[in-house]
Amino acid sequence: MLSRWAKTIKLPLVILIVFPLLSGCWDRLELEERAVVLGISIDTAEPEEVQQEGAITFHSDNVSFPKKDLISVSVQIAIPGKIQLGPSENSGSGKGGTVQSVWVVKVVGYTLDDALVNLQQQISGRLFYGHLRVIVVSEAVARRGMENINDFLRRNSEVRRMAWMLISRGRAEELMKSKPQLERVPTLYLISTMDSAVRMGRFPQNYIGMFWSNMSKKGQEAFLPYVEMKKEQNIELKGLAYFRNDKMVGATRSLEMGTYMSLKGVNPAGYRGFVQIGNPPGTVTVYATSRRASVSVRIIDNVPHFQVNVFTEINVEEKFSDTFALNNSRVLEEIRKENRRQLSEAAERLIKETQRAGSDIFGFGEYLRAKRPGFWDRRVKTKERWQEMYKTVSVDVKVDSRVRRIGMKAK
Amino acid sequence: MEQPPRQITAIQAAATLTSTNIGVGVLALPLFTVQAANSGAPLVTLLGFLLAFVGFVPLVLLGMRFPSQSFVQYSEAIIGKWPSWIGSACVIAFFAVLTAFTSREFGEVVITAVLTRTPVEVTVIVMLLLAAISTRKDITTFAYIHHFYFPLLLVPVLLIGALSLKNADVINLLPIWGNQPTFMLEGILTTAALFEGSFVIAVVIPAMKRPDYALKANFWGMLVGGALYVMIVVATVSVFGAEETSNLLWPTLELAKATSLPANVLERLDAAFLAVWVTTVFTTLLSSYFLTVTELQKLFRQREHKMFSLFMLPFVFFIAMLPQNISQMYATIKIVGRIGLIVTIVYPTLLLVIAIIRNKRGEHADAQQMGKND
Repeated sequence: MLSRWAKTIKLPLVILIVFPLLSGCWDRLELEERAVVLGISIDTAEPEEVQQEGAITFHSDNVSFPKKDLISVSVQIAIPGKIQLGPSENSGSGKGGTVQSVWVVKVVGYTLDDALVNLQQQISGRLFYGHLRVIVVSEAVARRGMENINDFLRRNSEVRRMAWMLISRGRAEELMKSKPQLERVPTLYLISTMDSAVRMGRFPQNYIGMFWSNMSKKGQEAFLPYVEMKKEQNIELKGLAYFRNDKMVGATRSLEMGTYMSLKGVNPAGYRGFVQIGNPPGTVTVYATSRRASVSVRIIDNVPHFQVNVFTEINVEEKFSDTFALNNSRVLEEIRKENRRQLSEAAERLIKETQRAGSDIFGFGEYLRAKRPGFWDRRVKTKERWQEMYKTVSVDVKVDSRVRRIGMKAK
Repeated sequence: MEQPPRQITAIQAAATLTSTNIGVGVLALPLFTVQAANSGAPLVTLLGFLLAFVGFVPLVLLGMRFPSQSFVQYSEAIIGKWPSWIGSACVIAFFAVLTAFTSREFGEVVITAVLTRTPVEVTVIVMLLLAAISTRKDITTFAYIHHFYFPLLLVPVLLIGALSLKNADVINLLPIWGNQPTFMLEGILTTAALFEGSFVIAVVIPAMKRPDYALKANFWGMLVGGALYVMIVVATVSVFGAEETSNLLWPTLELAKATSLPANVLERLDAAFLAVWVTTVFTTLLSSYFLTVTELQKLFRQREHKMFSLFMLPFVFFIAMLPQNISQMYATIKIVGRIGLIVTIVYPTLLLVIAIIRNKRGEHADAQQMGKND
C-alpha cells in the first residue's frame, strides 16, 4: 500500500526537479535577439553632436561632466544573414559593389559605458561583445587618456583579450564606415591587416591583452598600432603610437616599427631599408630575414646603463645602379658595415625620442626590475620614478649583421 | 558498527587528494600570491604548498596509527570523549563552512563570467544538490568518482600551461623572490589554506586496502596538486606580468581567455576551461561535503551517513548565502582559511603528539582482518 503511494508521489517529484533543470537557464538568448558588435570606434564628440547625448544613465542636474569630454562612439553591428562566408555569387544581382553586411550606429556619451547604454536604448537586440574584434580609438581621445575605455573593456566578461586596439590618425569613425574591397566586413579587413602585418614581420604581436599588460608593468609603457585610412579605403600602418600611463604621447614613423622590432628581437623580420654605401658608391635595398636581440644592464654611479646587442641577418633585394656589381664578399662586407651603422643610429634615435617622452616602450625598466632588484627596490620602486629615470639612463646599441644572399641575379 | 569494505587502492587515494585540492581556488590563486609577493608569486605558491605538504603528515601518521578508525573515533581514544567531541565538532563545522564558501565562490564566478542573468542562488543550490546526492553513496564510490575525473582535471591545466608558454616572458618571473614582498607570510598561509581539503585522507585511510601506503598516497596526491598549482601561477604571471595579474580578479580564467588552440581550432579556451573547472569544483565540493557528512555520522554514532546529506543542505546553503558581496566573500574566505589551518593542521598535530606520549595505538588493519576471518 505504502509502496504504491510512494510511487505515485515519486513521479511528480522527479518531474518537478527535472523540468526546471532541463528547460534551459536564464541566459538563453536567441541569435537574432542579440546585436553582435564587431567593432567599436571612439572619437571626441564634435560640437554639433553634443546635443545628442541622451542623458539615459543619469539625471542631467546631478551629474556634472565637462561637455568637452563627450565622446562619440560608432558601433559596427553584424546584420544576421547578410554576412556570407566565402566568395558569394550575388554580386551580379544588379546593385553591384558590396552588400551592406554591417550596420554602423553612432552615439554620444560621457564615458564608453554611457555611450553604449545610450546605444542600447536605441537598438532592439541586446548588445553582445563576445565577437568584438577591433576597437579603434582616435588620436585625440588617446592623447586625452584611455583609463575609462580600458576599465570598461577589462571589466566586461565578454570582451576578449585577443582583440586588436588601434589608434587612428584623424576620425576613428571612418574606419568603421569603410568599405574595403577584399572583405565583406570592414572589421574583418582591419583584423586581417593586422594579422598579416604580424605574420610578415611588419608589426609586433600586440593584442589588447598585451597592451594592458604592458601598461600595468612598472618598468614599461604600452604602445598600439597607429593607422590611417587612405583614399581607396585601405589602411596604412603608420607607426607605433606610444603611451605614458594611459595617455598617448607620440607616434613613431613607419620604419621605426622595424627598428623597434630589431631592438626587441622580434621575428620574422619584414622591413626593407636603403643602404647607401661609399665604396663603391651606390645604394641598395636590403631586408632583414631574422633578428636576435639581448639586453644587459650595469649600474655605474647609481645610474643604470643598458646595452642592447642586436643581430640581424639581411638579404639584398635591389640595387639602384649598374656602376658596381654585387659579386664579391667585399661589397657585401661594405653593405653590412653600413647597415650596422644605420641601424644603430636609427635605434639610438628612436630610444632618444621615447626618452624625451618618458615612455619606455622597450621595457628596459622591467629588465632592470628583474635583473637588478636591489637597485630597483632602493631607487625606483614606482612607475612614476622609472618614467623620470628613463629620461636619464644611457642605452648603447650594438648592432651586428650579416649579409647572406643577393637574390637570383649574379651581379 | 560495521566496517566499510577495504577497497581503495593507493592510486585512488592519491587521485582523491589531487582532485580535492584542485578546485575553485585555482582561479584566484595567482591574484592572491601576486598580492603577496608580486613576481615572487611562484615561490609563495611553492612555500604555501610545502607548508601544507609537511602540515598534513601528522594527520596521515595518525591515520596509520589507527588504521581502522575514523578521525572522530581515534580522537576520542586519544583525548577522551568530551574534549574530542568539541574538536571534532569544530572540524565538522569548518568543513561545512568550507563547502558553503566553495559553492558560493563557484556561483560568483559563473554568474560573473558566463551566466550573467542567472541568480546566484540557483547556481549554488544546483552544485550543492549535486554534491549532496553524490555523498549518499559509500566511500568506495566516492573514491571512484575522484579517480574517474582525475585525468579530466589534469589535461586542461597542462594544456593551458603548455600553450601559454608561447606568450610567456621570463622577465615577468624575475626576481624569483619578488620586489620587496610585503605580505609573503600571508600569501603562504592563503596558499596553504587551499590545500585544506587534504584532510579527506582521514576518511580515506580506514577504507584503504593497505593503510600503510597512506603516506605514499598522500605524498604523490599532494605533490601532483602542488605541481599543478605552481604551474598555473608560473604560467599566469609569466604571461601577464605581476602588475597585470594583480588587476585581474580571476587571472587563471583570463589566461584561458588569452590562450588559443593552435590552427584556429578554438580561439579562446575559457569556455572549455570553465566546463572542466566545474568538474574540479564538483570533486572538491564532494570531498568537503562527504567529510562533513561522514564525520557527523560518526560523531552522532549513526549507522548511515545518507540522512545527513540532505539534512546538512539547508545549513550549508544558508552559510553560502551569508556574504553580501564579492569583496566580503573573499575576505571571509581568507579568514576561514586561516582558522582552517588551525583545525586541519595544528589540531591533528597535537593529537599525534598526545597519542605518542600516551602511547595510544589502534588495532592493526591486518590483525583486525584476521580477527574477522577467525
